[in-house]
Parts: sequence; C-alpha cells; structure tokens
Amino acid sequence: MNCRECVEHLYEFLDREVTPELERDIREHLEECPPCGEQFDFESLFLKFLRARCRAQGAPPELKRRLLHDLFGE
Amino acid sequence: MTASAQPPPPVDEKRASFEREALVHLDTLYRVALRLTGNASDADDLVQETMLKAYRAWDQYEKGTNAKGWLLTILRHAFINEYRRRTRHPETVDLDTIEPFAVFGEIQEDDPQGAFFDRIVDDEVLRAIDALPEAFRETLVLSDVEGMSYQEIGKILEIPVGTVKSRLFRARQLLQGKLYDYAVNMGYIKGTPA
Repeated sequence: MNCRECVEHLYEFLDREVTPELERDIREHLEECPPCGEQFDFESLFLKFLRARCRAQGAPPELKRRLLHDLFGE
Repeated sequence: MTASAQPPPPVDEKRASFEREALVHLDTLYRVALRLTGNASDADDLVQETMLKAYRAWDQYEKGTNAKGWLLTILRHAFINEYRRRTRHPETVDLDTIEPFAVFGEIQEDDPQGAFFDRIVDDEVLRAIDALPEAFRETLVLSDVEGMSYQEIGKILEIPVGTVKSRLFRARQLLQGKLYDYAVNMGYIKGTPA
C-alpha cells in the first residue's frame, strides 16, 4: 500500500468501516510510514475532540417532564 | 399469606418497552434536533413531536431492532416537513463547489498533535458545526457526535453509503478549516486563515 491509498481510507479506518484485510494493510503501512502515522493521529485526535465538545449537551429536564406528561399523563 | 398481599399491578408493556427502547435516546434526539433547527425552542418542539409520533406508531416498530435509527428517521421527516421551511432555508449552496481545506498540511510543522484544538471551547465548535451546509451538518452530527455507522446514517438520510463517506470527508475538512481559521484569528496558532 502506498501513502495515497492509505490516506484515501483514513476516515473509513478511523470510523472502523474497513474490512479486516484493509485494516491490516493500513496498519502495516502506518508502522513503516511516520508521516502517514502523524496524519492519522491528528485526524483521530480531531474526531475525539469533536465528540468531547458536543456530547455534553443533553435534553433539558423540563422537556423530559413535559414528555412524560404528554405520553403517559404524569 | 398476609392480608396485604396484592396482585402485581398490570404491567403496561407498551409504556415499559417505549421507556426502555425509545426514551433512552432522548439526549441524542435533542442534540440532533438542536443542530437541525438551530434553536432550543424549536428543538424542544421537534423532539416532543417525534416522541409523540413514535409512541403512536410504536406497534409498527420491531422491538429490539434499531430504535435510535427509527426515531431519528421520524425526527428528520418531521423536521423537513414542518420546521425547515420556517427555521433554516433548504440548501441553496452547491455542495460540489465547496473546496475542502487540508488543515493537517498547514499545522504539521508547528502543531502536528493539533494542540490548538484544546483551546477551542464547546460553544465555538457548535457554532462552527451550525455554519456547515445542512447536508454536511446532519451527516457529521450523526457520525461524529452520535457515533452511528455509515450504513445507519445512509438509512436515516436516505442516501447511499458512498455519499455518506464523501459528505463526511468534506464536512470534517470544512469544519477543521473553520476551527483552524478561528484558532489563527484568536492567536492560538500561527498561520494564515484559509
């Protein structure tokens, strides 16, 4: 696998959407190619950062109360 | 046998299964609704309407399958039919003309670990997501915030998996570009805005 092929599958790999064979090929390439490794690390950190920044928000308690009332008459 | 022994109250199966399988996804529905409508009051109403519709149609849902996907499909249809018209306008940008900007190429010398991201607060990230075109925004939220698979996303958005992939790629690159510009403007990192 060359760098272009590796980077092409970057997000699919990070999203765990690649076949086991492709995953193995990518891992092999990343071990021998520090620049691709750095790029994968960067993108992986970015996705973790994104999730951490956006997950804090949940449904307001008032909405939950209103829902339970409308659904079940509570 | 004691005099106080009572038969157990009749279990409301519908309610119990709805609480177990649907209401547990309330936070997810709310986050997605908020990113779709862009304001808390419409998000409240959209989630409310989605849950009431879902409860009415609960018999049609095959228990134990993918309630989250099923609920999000209802939510999205309700959004398209009733909210989009008055909240945000449907897409007017041509998604194919949007050029992604490779942030990694810009920062690999000075900050390959992307440490500048740590200085960007929640609100700023949410603002940047809200500024994405709707088709990119909904794909990115379902994947990166809610952790859904390409296949699940494709089903909810009614697009092929290949389209999920390409939208996700461009949504992430666009968002990175926006956050990078913000970080440069704030002086968190040296560089030139894209």
